[in-house]
Amino acid sequence: MKKRILSLFLTLSITCAAVAQVRTITGTVTDAQDGLPIPGVTVRVKGVQAGTQTGGDGRYSVNVPAAGTGLDFSSIGYITQSVPLGSATVINIRLVSSARSLGEVVVTANAIRRERRSLGYSAPTVNTEELSQGQQPSVISALTGRVAGVNITNTSNTPGASSRVVLRGGSSISGNNQALIVVDGVPIDNSSVIGGPSSLASVDFGNRGNDINPDDIASVTVLKGPAAAALYGSRASNGALIITTKSGTKGAKKTEITFNSSNSFSSILKLPELQNEYGQGYYGEIAPDGLSATYISDPRENFSWGAPFNGEMQEYGQQIDGVRQSKPYSAAKDNIRNFFDTGFSTDNNLSFSGGSEKTSFYLGLNAVNSNGINPGNKDVYNRYSVRFNGNTEFNNKFYAGISFNYFKINSNQIAGGQSGGSVYNNVLQTPRDIPIDQMKDLNNKYNGYGIVTADGVRRDDLYGFYGAYTMNPYWILENYNNFNDVNRVTGNFNVGYKPTGWLDIKERLGVDSYTDRRRLESPKYEFFPADELGNYTEDDTRTNNGSYEIDQLNVNEIVHDLMITASHKFNEDFDGSLMVGNNIRQRYTNTLATSTNASGGLVVPNYYNLANSNGPVAVITDNISRRRLVGLYADLNLSYKNMLFFEATARNDWSSTLPVQNNSFFYPSVSASFLFSEMLKNTGIGNILDYGKIRTSYAQVGSDTDPYQLQTTFTRGEILGGFGSTTFPFGNVAALMSSSTIGNPNLKPEKTNSFEVGTELGLFKNRLSVDFSYYRNSSRNQILSIPIPTSTGYSFSVVNAGKVQNNGVEISLRGTPIRTSTGLSLELFGTYTRNNSKVVELLPGIDQVGLGGFSGMSIVAAKGKPYGEFYGVTNAKDAQGRTIVDQETGLPVPTESAQYLGSYNPRYIASLGANFKYKNLSMNVLFDTKQGGVFYSRTRDITGFNGTSAETGGERIGVIFPNSVYLDEAGNSVVNTTARYNKQDYYSDLPPGAGIVDASFVKLRSLGISYTFSKAQLQKSPFGELTVGIFGNNLFIWTPKENKYADPEVNSAGAGNAQGFDFTAQPSVRNYGLNLRVSF
Amino acid sequence: MKTNYIYTAKKLVVLLAIGTFGLAGCKKFLDVNENPNNPVTASPTLLLPTVEAAVSQLVGNFYQIYGNIWAEYWTQGTSSSQYRSLEQYNVTNTNFDRAWNVTYRNALQNAQTIINSSTPNNELVRGIAYILKAYTFQLTTDAYGDIPLSEALNANQFGSPHYETQAVVYDSIFHYIDLGIASLNTPNATSPGAQDMIFNGDIPSWTAFANTLKLRAYIRLSQVDPAKAQAGVAALYSSGASFLTQDASMTFTTTGGNENPLYNEMLGLGRTQNVIASGTAVNAFKANSDPRLFKYYDLVAPQDTISYIPQGSYRANSGKKNLSPPSGLVGGNASSGAAALSAVAPVKLISAAESYFLQAEAVARGWGGNAAQLPDLFQTGITTSFAAVGLANAAPAYIAAAPDAKLPGSLQGNIRAIITQKYYAMCGFQGFEAWSEWRRTGYPDFWVPSQASIIGAGRLPLRFMYPNTEVTTNLNYPGTVQIYEPVWWDK
Repeated sequence: MKKRILSLFLTLSITCAAVAQVRTITGTVTDAQDGLPIPGVTVRVKGVQAGTQTGGDGRYSVNVPAAGTGLDFSSIGYITQSVPLGSATVINIRLVSSARSLGEVVVTANAIRRERRSLGYSAPTVNTEELSQGQQPSVISALTGRVAGVNITNTSNTPGASSRVVLRGGSSISGNNQALIVVDGVPIDNSSVIGGPSSLASVDFGNRGNDINPDDIASVTVLKGPAAAALYGSRASNGALIITTKSGTKGAKKTEITFNSSNSFSSILKLPELQNEYGQGYYGEIAPDGLSATYISDPRENFSWGAPFNGEMQEYGQQIDGVRQSKPYSAAKDNIRNFFDTGFSTDNNLSFSGGSEKTSFYLGLNAVNSNGINPGNKDVYNRYSVRFNGNTEFNNKFYAGISFNYFKINSNQIAGGQSGGSVYNNVLQTPRDIPIDQMKDLNNKYNGYGIVTADGVRRDDLYGFYGAYTMNPYWILENYNNFNDVNRVTGNFNVGYKPTGWLDIKERLGVDSYTDRRRLESPKYEFFPADELGNYTEDDTRTNNGSYEIDQLNVNEIVHDLMITASHKFNEDFDGSLMVGNNIRQRYTNTLATSTNASGGLVVPNYYNLANSNGPVAVITDNISRRRLVGLYADLNLSYKNMLFFEATARNDWSSTLPVQNNSFFYPSVSASFLFSEMLKNTGIGNILDYGKIRTSYAQVGSDTDPYQLQTTFTRGEILGGFGSTTFPFGNVAALMSSSTIGNPNLKPEKTNSFEVGTELGLFKNRLSVDFSYYRNSSRNQILSIPIPTSTGYSFSVVNAGKVQNNGVEISLRGTPIRTSTGLSLELFGTYTRNNSKVVELLPGIDQVGLGGFSGMSIVAAKGKPYGEFYGVTNAKDAQGRTIVDQETGLPVPTESAQYLGSYNPRYIASLGANFKYKNLSMNVLFDTKQGGVFYSRTRDITGFNGTSAETGGERIGVIFPNSVYLDEAGNSVVNTTARYNKQDYYSDLPPGAGIVDASFVKLRSLGISYTFSKAQLQKSPFGELTVGIFGNNLFIWTPKENKYADPEVNSAGAGNAQGFDFTAQPSVRNYGLNLRVSF
Repeated sequence: MKTNYIYTAKKLVVLLAIGTFGLAGCKKFLDVNENPNNPVTASPTLLLPTVEAAVSQLVGNFYQIYGNIWAEYWTQGTSSSQYRSLEQYNVTNTNFDRAWNVTYRNALQNAQTIINSSTPNNELVRGIAYILKAYTFQLTTDAYGDIPLSEALNANQFGSPHYETQAVVYDSIFHYIDLGIASLNTPNATSPGAQDMIFNGDIPSWTAFANTLKLRAYIRLSQVDPAKAQAGVAALYSSGASFLTQDASMTFTTTGGNENPLYNEMLGLGRTQNVIASGTAVNAFKANSDPRLFKYYDLVAPQDTISYIPQGSYRANSGKKNLSPPSGLVGGNASSGAAALSAVAPVKLISAAESYFLQAEAVARGWGGNAAQLPDLFQTGITTSFAAVGLANAAPAYIAAAPDAKLPGSLQGNIRAIITQKYYAMCGFQGFEAWSEWRRTGYPDFWVPSQASIIGAGRLPLRFMYPNTEVTTNLNYPGTVQIYEPVWWDK
């Protein structure tokens, strides 16, 4: 291998000697649409090694040796044009915008620009115009529905919320499955660390990949397979999002100032459907005929299992100072919807860009200020960022660039799940007749805690709120805080040297460094009911020791790349390039999580400081992690007649996290593409087919693991009970214990293989384009922490095991059915993605590995099943799918053991969008859908438990379970017409499987209408450009009838591998507003 | 022509040096995988507190709840629901995951690491580790029957440990105790001092504990292998063994994380009072006018009597208020008022009273000591139990009057009296041991099935179920045994 590289170099250097007679050709390159000059167009002389770029005025001058046969004009965003050389010395060219063309230049791995035609793999690009449609606050969300093969999950769709991006299915059983995010050639961290103890009581602090300001982005190229990303090494085995940020234009006449502002409102997208027939309470006695009941109206209840509504005035809640409140005994229909406010968010961007002959710069300033849908100012998110990009060329063949981005984020987020601070959990558990939306005034003694009694004395130990099992959600909002403060710097510095036309040496140093500090406050209180009637007892005391937790996450990542690229034209038809490079990276993280004593809590209420800990401060995590990787890589590109392309890459990595004897691993890739349309030119087909390409690639990627997996260690002594723990130090006694995982000093690297074949077609003068791919990935030798029998003395063992396969198809279509000379155009586009994933094998004896969930409903990677399968006890069914009930009780019988209940991964994902333009007016719309997955909805479980969900309505006493059978003594199904049950008995104790709901949906993902003033209209104004518009995102959702509960995109586990988990997650929102874009 | 060579020897050396340095530098650059967060070794004295705390968490929390409910001292309260499945005898494999985890991973694995340690002058800690290993294996086999033993705690060699019969486990228990006592007899070994949270490094106390444990283990075989039991007890007596005269217990503080494990568990459940007084035990105490009743349970104002419900009748009594919780003295009262008391309640591994009742049984069976000691041992057991709850002065009156404080004379009658008194002594402190002794002897004979039972008429639980983690990961899992199937020694 080494020898060949050397000889190639020699060949390259020997064959670049011929220099002959030279003439000069000049000209101007303009935009075919608006006639404006295009700066920075690459002008290449065909047949020899020569070329230049156009200046700020679009002009160029190039010296053409005698051997030159023609000129190629290429620029990102435009269709490359070739002109044969005649005798003319002035050649003016009009380039056609290639926003939709397949001939464009794309940015691939390591910020290398490549012509799309030469790529042997699928690499769709989304440009700034499409990204900004819908004004999504997150770049990942903005990609939804734009590209085939991409599975994006948007959780709550609020600024700062998590979103997850998976390309071509999850292939890693327990590791990261998300695409690597690369900004200007440097990978950035996309950690998603949920706040709170677990996904059952989580706070969504988002994922770091969403920090980047979408307005700073020029384009995003999606490298889907490992083939595309082999040069990034192991971290790109899940594909990569190659983000190119905006840069100034070299030779621009003036500094362009752009101001872009959008103001949006948000409201809840989907609330559960509720019954409006029964109120607070539960049934008392069932009549002898089993068809009716007496009811107990218990004012403390969260249950809505009481008597049917009669509309009569009724006293409710506590009696305080001799008085109870009253209200009609009827449904407070919109009590949940009205609890929430309209959220408001403003997103302002100011950018400056420009350049001189040899330099360019871009400066972007961004501020996002958002106050979410929860009442008051407790769910706020503020992000401020500054980006500076600068590039310069020096006279001595050196060039240099800098890219710098600073972020400052502070937010206060609301907890979800069943934690004490979960607002939604308490809102949802409101009986149908309780006007929870009227209980905002906490000074009202019937709403608050620590109330003022009739004698005017404040009683800090009393509460007047009706509920003994719920807390007033307004009070929770007021008293719980989950602050987050992020300071982050990312950027890179590069310097290059181009000693001759064929050689480019580039050094780049990238850095990503941030601190993420979280402060979680929960109040200390002990409140006794103020009630004077005896409806409330000492058992109804509301008490909490309070807690204060500080989590500090520091991440520092440094990446170095040295790349040497040599290119050479061997002859008229044959050229090639070779890049060799060296990559070194280090990732250092430091996580410290401390809180007040777990059982002691706070000493003094409302004093949030670790010094106020009642008992020793609990150190939850104190963890340093450092990993390093050294890689050497080579990338060889060959092209023949600009129609046959071949690429091979090779990389070897040395990782610090693997045992020394196994820490070196090599992985190659090959790809090829063939532009068969070149051979059909001037034929009948050629007239229809402008562009036709087939491509194929094969790649392997190796992968290391997390640090410190090799040794078995000891940890501080801590014995976990069911809900408490004995923790050391115990007085003065210190203790250690063996950790739960036994290390493995013999780990090997993981391996992922991928194969892809596809085609790209451009038809009818590029009015219709098609991109199709078929792929197959297989990931084996996965490094997994698998459960082992605890009787071994350990709970987990780190092993190389497991194989996951994904295969699928991706189709993108784009067509322009209407384009008239009057300026009317309609463009339609769509994507279709189908991925089949399968966990092929795990370790012998191990059937599944947990990914998340809770003990009753786990999300697992199970052998023979798709990745991300739900596993839990559900209602037993017979062979015909009818629910089996108990012949005596009429209640559904749970399955004896947990069952596989479906995967969170959709069967297919599709989108359909349109861009409509008429003169200055443009409109865009995008729908997307996921079909076929399931999700677990605790919203369903809890509204069933409380008797508020729509399915608990209708007849409640003595009903027959729909489509049910019971089993006779021989075990045969008998259609049930006799065994009757009471809904309260069933719904208040649902098996976990009853929370599984079809996750299919169709969404109106984005919609925008904008008016762009023409240059003529703006002639007398100071504006260079002015656009005003209205927009919306996540506007409407359509779900199957079965889903009356939640947006299936919400997730309690953030962007991790546990997806489809609505554990009373934060509800998702729709955003809509106004946008203004103006440049000077 | 010498100069025509591209590589002179000198240059080659330089190149080689650069190469080597480069490679070595790279190697060093990548050598950052030593875990900076956690040590890879631990001294035995740092592991010992973990073993003791783990055993206390088992006895004082998991086994305490199961034991006290299944021994019918406590029952599920009416306004909470955490332990309904225990009352229904409707437990599943997953119920035992955490306890099994604490048993093997926290208690036994760390004890084994101490035993395997080559730290010099370590014999005393090793002796204690052997004895606690024996204690834990007895606890575990009494709960589950056949368990992983010789292949356990050796993850590198046995990924799926085989289960061994209870008879083999008991043989090993005696063996471990002997190894422990031998190790404790090493002269000039270093005392663990305060790192021993049970006896503060007092070796004679550990020897007495080891002997009492051996007595308990042999007597447990009284029904299944009386000959072996008798021989073992006789050998113990002829060796002049000392027995416990004080509680072998771990004490706790009000500091968060250092509280009594059951109380700490209730705090974790938001101070929910799940367990309350059961009619089974309360009525037995009342029948004997036993003043300890008011020490084992707390009064709820304004009542002046212990208010209870029949075992497992939480549904029938739904909504009933002011039921008596176990007392703070036994760590069972969750309310903030009893916090100071509940937090510091001791966990008793073997109580002094139990030691006397075990000796009384040995004497009553004629396996050790002499018959004349029986009344004294029996009454000392009762008196010690009274003293443990601060009622030493009330003991004589009780012994004089209570029907259950009489030794009837016949062997079976004496055994019945001893075990029944042991039951009274263990209320709230040692529920699991009381349940085990009932399984062995059938005493006390006044237990009733829980009203919530789903396992069929007349059945009571006779064992724990193997945990789900073993079901799903151990290739040599022997299969689930129903909880109404007796263990080997339960004849």
